[in-house]
Amino acid sequence: MADYNTMELMIVAASRELEDGATVGVGTGAPCAAAMLAQKTKAPNLVIMFEAGGISPLLPTMPISVGDSRTFYKAVMASGMCEIMETCQRGMVDYTFLGGAQIDMYGNLNSTVIGDWANPKVRFPGSGGANDFASFCWRIMVITPQDARRFVERVSFITTPGYLTGGNAREEAGLPANTGPYKVITNMAVMGYDPDSKRMRVESIHHGFTFEQVQENCGFELLKAPEVVETPPPTEEELSILRSEVDPHRYIIGR
Amino acid sequence: MPHANERLFDHQYAREWKLKKSRAEKDKRMPLKDAIAQFVEDGDSIIETGFAYVRGPLGAYWEIGRQKKKDLVGIFTPGGLNNVWHEYGGMEGAHVAYVGVEMRGLISTFRRGVEAGTLKVYSEWSHGGLALALRAAEQGLNYVACKSMLGTDIIKTNPYIKVESDPWTGEPVCLVPAIYPDVAIFHVHHADKYGNSRIWGASVNDTAIAVAARKVVVTCERIVDTLDIRSNPYQVIIPHYCVDAVCEVPFGAWPGDMPGMYYFDRRLQERVVRIEWKTPEATRNWIDRYIYGTKDVYEMIQLAAEEEGLNVLDYVKRLEQLACDAAFYNIGSWGIGGERDWRYEEVAKRAI
Repeated sequence: MADYNTMELMIVAASRELEDGATVGVGTGAPCAAAMLAQKTKAPNLVIMFEAGGISPLLPTMPISVGDSRTFYKAVMASGMCEIMETCQRGMVDYTFLGGAQIDMYGNLNSTVIGDWANPKVRFPGSGGANDFASFCWRIMVITPQDARRFVERVSFITTPGYLTGGNAREEAGLPANTGPYKVITNMAVMGYDPDSKRMRVESIHHGFTFEQVQENCGFELLKAPEVVETPPPTEEELSILRSEVDPHRYIIGR
Repeated sequence: MPHANERLFDHQYAREWKLKKSRAEKDKRMPLKDAIAQFVEDGDSIIETGFAYVRGPLGAYWEIGRQKKKDLVGIFTPGGLNNVWHEYGGMEGAHVAYVGVEMRGLISTFRRGVEAGTLKVYSEWSHGGLALALRAAEQGLNYVACKSMLGTDIIKTNPYIKVESDPWTGEPVCLVPAIYPDVAIFHVHHADKYGNSRIWGASVNDTAIAVAARKVVVTCERIVDTLDIRSNPYQVIIPHYCVDAVCEVPFGAWPGDMPGMYYFDRRLQERVVRIEWKTPEATRNWIDRYIYGTKDVYEMIQLAAEEEGLNVLDYVKRLEQLACDAAFYNIGSWGIGGERDWRYEEVAKRAI
């Protein structure tokens, strides 16, 4: 088996969720690395969108901002923020990758504050485009380390909607039907959501980890998919493209 | 003077000053110092343009610091390095969709101010939500409807937006009011003396901001002839009748990214967000050296070059080489590449 670190594993696992010809809204960091890797492996016609306005660039190297000049390198359009968010609202964006300081069992994310909003203990950057991407994209994916401080019973602030309180709560709030959280990719496992309760469930576990370890590093009770498999490890080809073409300076995979 | 927030969503007030705004093509060129002195007033709401640190008018923001403007209210979709104003009382509050530098982390001056309660967050937004508030202003409408922010705590902590039932289907929709900032400063590639402004790359929210804001200052890499604009109007994002002042500021987006011309001064930016602004003392020391200790952006670049042990021209050339795609852009219809020598001369002239 190839030798790889957990960040490389997460990026490879994320990239495999994107099929050729799909549209994906991404931010910088691991999400962008996953989209670039997909574009250079199984999904050469992946349409990548950035919230500042870049549509379908052929990313030459890793952008460090979603408004970076690299996000419209050989793009088909350099549009603006409204155009991108309205494209999502129309239902034209299939996937998005997000992160956040906290996530709960329904996939709600907090990137605003820890503690009371009016008098916060810790202030984070805020939503940015995350709320809009997560309100409208058909399938929302999250890449984050498995850690009980991140996977919490209740997020301090719902910045970005998941399934809210579960069941039909998302649609009842007015968000488009059949959109919502799809996968959570961590350094230990890949999780999805129960189709009825909309609670997070473990679907595959990375080599070397057990369900118990994943549960220990999660602040709420995880469900199990009917069949829990081992995540297929990264291939030599995926790792080689990731290291030599996607992130040669190890900005992301060196973390 | 009423608080900036009192004017921010006032549709009637916005129409009244639109009536006063000149429609004529007149020469609006002036030095940056004068434009900031005249058009940025204490207590103004000021919206960030471009993508904050991409095609952002950072040279103008440092000048605002130098002139010690007080009690500004920031509007951030997104917001970046000008939060350093808070450290000397330059910024008292903010309307926030995002303040940070993405994968490079948080901006400590903003975080410290909010956590200490000295920088008030007046409202929380998503990027799409605030972009649509600007679009409502662009349309001259009271509000627009959207489906962003539904079901979240953003709605609960934003006193300006409302959730109502769609009169046709009964579905909940979010109503976003038109937002009218007091002042916006843009940095563009080319502008003519009247303020017609042309860019390369993503416009982000700039066309909407330019028509929404009461006072508009354009800084540009180079002032071009009006015939140049009129022969290629396709990349113009701001027409002259929005603009109050035009200032030629080559490297005016430094240390940010100016698409096709120069890339992020990544080392300086990372040093600033990770080290130089980490504590209030360090931040004030940085402000003393970089803002109060210099007279303009060229002296700042020179200082940054000296700290890296480089000649100022080698320093800016390196930033241009880092614009990975510059060679690709050079074949564009208006030839940015041909302007390089001119800009080197300008830097050499102004830095010394």
